[in-house]
Amino acid sequence: MAGIKIIDLKKSFQVEKKSLPVLTGVNLSLPGQQITVILGRSGCGKTTLLRLAGGLETPDSGQILYDDTEAADPGHASCGPSRRMAFVFQEPRLMPWLTVEGNIGFGLSRKEKKDSREHIRKIILAAGLEGFEKAYPSQLSGGMKQRTALARALAFRPSFIMMDEPFAALDYFTREQMQQELLRVQEAEHCSILFVTHSIDEALLLADQIVILKQGTVKALYPVTAPKQDRNLLDPEFISLKKNLLRDLDQ
Amino acid sequence: MKHLQRTLPAFAGILLFLAVWYGVCRMELVNPYVLPSPQKVLDTFLQMCASGEIFQDISISLIRVLKGFSIAFVLAFLLGMMRAVFPASGPYFEYLVQFFRSVPPLSMIPLLILWCGIGETTKVIIIVLASFFPMYLNIVKGFTGCDPKLLEVGDMFGYGKREKFLKIALPYASADILVGMRVGLGYSWRAIIGAEMVAASTGLGHLILFAQQMSRTDKVIAGIFVIGAAGCITDRVFGLIIGKLLKGRYENGWN
Repeated sequence: MAGIKIIDLKKSFQVEKKSLPVLTGVNLSLPGQQITVILGRSGCGKTTLLRLAGGLETPDSGQILYDDTEAADPGHASCGPSRRMAFVFQEPRLMPWLTVEGNIGFGLSRKEKKDSREHIRKIILAAGLEGFEKAYPSQLSGGMKQRTALARALAFRPSFIMMDEPFAALDYFTREQMQQELLRVQEAEHCSILFVTHSIDEALLLADQIVILKQGTVKALYPVTAPKQDRNLLDPEFISLKKNLLRDLDQ
Repeated sequence: MKHLQRTLPAFAGILLFLAVWYGVCRMELVNPYVLPSPQKVLDTFLQMCASGEIFQDISISLIRVLKGFSIAFVLAFLLGMMRAVFPASGPYFEYLVQFFRSVPPLSMIPLLILWCGIGETTKVIIIVLASFFPMYLNIVKGFTGCDPKLLEVGDMFGYGKREKFLKIALPYASADILVGMRVGLGYSWRAIIGAEMVAASTGLGHLILFAQQMSRTDKVIAGIFVIGAAGCITDRVFGLIIGKLLKGRYENGWN
């Protein structure tokens, strides 16, 4: 999968009969098999951009090209076989009537479930959910629920994963563990990830490129080339990058 | 032990109720015709059991209740589902349903006799009218209350309308649907007297009305207890089946 190209994307919402522009012309290229992190303050349109790219909303104008072809039906962008997309939301959004196992296989058809039993097994192990396959979401901790949601996205074998501040509700240690897990999975599965966060440290840890979104448009774009496995955020390189990011966000 | 802790207060409550009843009769505060003593009611009940008439009445009423309840459930489910699958269809029947919800089923009896005669049909229709609305309202609540965030998960996996309904909306609504069914079952039992007021010669409702005409207060009270017990037992059985179906899924408020 070559990635996603976003061309002059505009979107506004109607709030009390007034049109509120959220995205005012976003141009962005999301390369395949890389992690693109969108960074911005709350209300800058991060989530909207993510939902547009994931096909959960339709744009007012502009284009989203998947593999350099326009989505025929943007509402069902994830339908095509070559264009499997998964979403990890801010909240886990698990089905309360399904077990962990059932939730993880939720996106799969019966046949797919049968064929990918080994794959699902591995994902359950990687997400640290072993022994909880038969538990219901109400019996899980917040971190485990979020891990189940991540596992559900991965079990779908997506070529693109949209993640909307998936770790925001987790404690420091779980968050760190999940970030490492995400990097490992991304490397193994060669999927592309669009990741939205407001945490600069998280962006620095995960990103191949960092996009700063401000007032509905791309304010700056920083490629990060350091190998992802052992990034030390106290390196001078990262400290100066962090300064730049903070300056961009603050202006 | 825990079981005992739960059942003990329940028994104490029932015992106190019986004791007060017994005391009132014993002290002859009221005419025994107005309130027969517990022993008298028990005797009458045992007599009715011995002659077997009561069992016939119970089974006939039970069949009527189950018939009316099943028909009402199917109708309520179909209409509720219509509202969920085609939201635009709602306004067409919503006001009619609201209107008939406020009409007591008993007020329909004259018309029903005229249209359907005095046979089984009229009795079943009265039960349907009584139990349809609580089920319909709960089913609609279950379907329309479905969390849009969960439906979006379906969008994300590329599910169509049908799949989203079967995989998300229906299981989501199941708890509300079951609560509606339970309430509806209770209403069915409550409607049985009204239903069996219509030229019935059998059934628990008839038993009570006939006893009234014969001035047999003891039989009336025995009949009331049997209806109450039958309602409680069907509710309990229903609750147990549902509890098994839902397992530990979520707090379902059944037990």
